[in-house]
Amino acid sequence: MICSFYISQETVSKLLCSSFKEDKTRLGSDATLLMREMLKVFVQEAALRSLKQAEAEDCNRIEIEHFEKILPQLLLDF
Amino acid sequence: MICSTFWLFLNLSRSRSKMSVDKEETRQRLKAAVHYTVGRLCQKIGEDHRREFSRQTIAAIAETTFRECDIFAKDLEAFARHAKRSTVSSEDVKLLARRSSALSNHIQNKSEELAQEQRDSRKKSTVKRKSRDTE
Repeated sequence: MICSFYISQETVSKLLCSSFKEDKTRLGSDATLLMREMLKVFVQEAALRSLKQAEAEDCNRIEIEHFEKILPQLLLDF
Repeated sequence: MICSTFWLFLNLSRSRSKMSVDKEETRQRLKAAVHYTVGRLCQKIGEDHRREFSRQTIAAIAETTFRECDIFAKDLEAFARHAKRSTVSSEDVKLLARRSSALSNHIQNKSEELAQEQRDSRKKSTVKRKSRDTE
């Protein structure tokens, strides 16, 4: 399955840098690219697991309850 | 006397709150960017499986992703500091992905893929330069 939607490199960089506690901490360019991949996988997993949950419950629409059920394991895996 | 100190205090707190307003604006803009990408990804996955994600679900995934980013960033910073570096490297990201072996392998592979792409692009530019020199 090809899910080729990425958050832009600039946004990833800004997102992470805004949470650093120290001013001197920088984000390398290769780390930025890898984190972009990491976030893409995270969102994909969240969406696909929610979808699988909805399918298992025979629901046509993916509701927040489905996401809530898969959330604990998702956070443990990441 | 009291009036002047009052105005000084008001101006100080106004400038301080302007800084936090800017920071808050940036945060909101980043949140919106995440929400947009999450929405598009969910739409694509939904289409592939002929199901629809409720708007609430998309918002929840986006919010969770945004919060995870904060946790990731702090972990990355801690890893880099532990290695006595001030720049976060790909090694720190690989460490971040340690909890699931599937994720760890995926990130490792991606890291090698990116390194290979860099080597290829560097080779290409050297070849171009060499051919230009010989002309």
